[in-house]
Amino acid sequence: MAEMWISMGPQHPMTHGLWTLKIKVDGETVIDTEPDLGYIHRGVEKICEARNFTQITTYCDRLCYASANTWSHAYIYATEDLLDVEVPERAEYIRLVAVEIQRIASHLMWLGAYGPDIGNLSIMVWCLREREMMMDLLQELGGSRLHYNFPRVGGVKRDLPHGFAHRARAKLTLFQNRIQEYEALFDESTIFLVRSQGVGYAKPEEMINAGVSGPNVRAAGVDYDIRWAHPYSVYSELDWAPAVERSSIKGADCYDRYRIRIEEMKESASMVLQALDKMPGGAETYHEPGDPKILAKAPSRAAEGTTGYHHFEDSRGESMFYIAGGGEGRGKMPYRVSIRSPMFITIPFAAKCMVGYKVADIPAIMGSFDPCIGETDR
Amino acid sequence: MGKKISAAAQLKSAESLAAAISMIDGASAEVSTRSSGTQDRHTIKGSCTPASWRELAETLESKHGIDYCSMITGIHWPDAADKTWEVIYHLMRTGVTDPRHENGIVQPNITAAGSLKGGKVPLEIEISIALPDTRTPSVASVQDIWVGADWNEKETWDLVGIDFDGHEKMRRVLNPHETPVGYHPLQKQHKLRYHGFEEMYDDVQGFRRKPADAGKVK
Repeated sequence: MAEMWISMGPQHPMTHGLWTLKIKVDGETVIDTEPDLGYIHRGVEKICEARNFTQITTYCDRLCYASANTWSHAYIYATEDLLDVEVPERAEYIRLVAVEIQRIASHLMWLGAYGPDIGNLSIMVWCLREREMMMDLLQELGGSRLHYNFPRVGGVKRDLPHGFAHRARAKLTLFQNRIQEYEALFDESTIFLVRSQGVGYAKPEEMINAGVSGPNVRAAGVDYDIRWAHPYSVYSELDWAPAVERSSIKGADCYDRYRIRIEEMKESASMVLQALDKMPGGAETYHEPGDPKILAKAPSRAAEGTTGYHHFEDSRGESMFYIAGGGEGRGKMPYRVSIRSPMFITIPFAAKCMVGYKVADIPAIMGSFDPCIGETDR
Repeated sequence: MGKKISAAAQLKSAESLAAAISMIDGASAEVSTRSSGTQDRHTIKGSCTPASWRELAETLESKHGIDYCSMITGIHWPDAADKTWEVIYHLMRTGVTDPRHENGIVQPNITAAGSLKGGKVPLEIEISIALPDTRTPSVASVQDIWVGADWNEKETWDLVGIDFDGHEKMRRVLNPHETPVGYHPLQKQHKLRYHGFEEMYDDVQGFRRKPADAGKVK
């Protein structure tokens, strides 16, 4: 049969944002792929060159609507490296709470979207129900529902509100129990198992060489995680270990990548509960915004020639900011902000993963890598 | 308490790698310490000449286990004294290997993080390469060494205009495909002006224009 190229997208139910996947097919079999990105390129890196360090936080929130907090935190850590700011310990704990709740919300969004991708529509409603609890918690911290603008250079915008710890403990404990419901829904759904098992194999060494990181690598049986390999924040104070999946000899398939995110949500929930218990000063105490316990003084200008960067464990892999300070000539604005999006690097790899499988497997394989086009195109 | 690598082992590993990088002609590196959170991270900050970059990259990958290319950043410095273009590579050593398997069952790799030593310790490496004043800046591609550098190089060319010699299938990735040749938005001759709030809106709703602004595109 003749080979031909087909464009999937830019509008397609599976694509989670606007992008085109060009596939070359021989009958039903995919023999080559070429992703085409850039449909929602907003030029965030250029915009950042005309904003001061505080203003940039909001743009970083908007890199990914499903995981806003992790992105603004990734930026803030890089800025603190650039400006050489020491963050109060309490602020680090509050950030950890915010980031890990966001990680759960992001994984739930992914899980909710992945179900319909491969024919399990009811899971979406269940996941969004729990995601709503996480959004409520984050809303208490940041004040808005999706884009929180929560971290500040040197600390956080606000302390934990009154009663937050109580509500967070109740919701996360409930969530830990409800995870069983997803496992029952997914693991006992024949259509889900048939479509996710045995497709889209990827091996760890190959993935690391291709720049893939985060849950997608841990699904393949290695425990590499930026949070312990390049320690930042207060993760080392908590009792945790990254979730690792026992994959097959051929590497991680789509089912392993689903399992790892379930396990990561459990791990994150336990981290938040521990952080609330261990928080210096207690989780019930409240400090006014700007209190030195939650916000350290930070310079607003970077010295000439300074640079800063920070590798950060995002919900989708390793995100990173590199910032070159501009010095007096640039006022309070950075000279160059460079963003590493995990999905920008993962999407070309995931596209190569589908070679050899059928056209019907594309949503299952692509969706299992958790693509997010907002951060990809920035 | 939790899992973390030993800062002392990381410092030792970083020092030996920095010394090894400095042995290469045209390359130099030193250990730079970064602190955020509970423990210092010892990273490597190095630089090299465009001519020695390819040799340095091959050595890093084959002898020192640098298996991961995180990001490539291009910067345009039209006003700097010592350089006009700069490429910065952020590399990492992850130490990830395929897990072994017994009787067909995979045994996941669980790293004993605290006892990692020498060439196994995760490291962050920053290599910057200054390029001379030219209209067609370029540096050797490392696409074949780290596949992860592939799209990073495409992006750097697309946005900043620094080309990579030997890069296969170079194309626009974020800008539209029909973007004019030679247009790279992150070059500094393309100015971006910050509009202050009072500048963007003349009144709360933004209906009326100030007399001085009449006819201007905002």
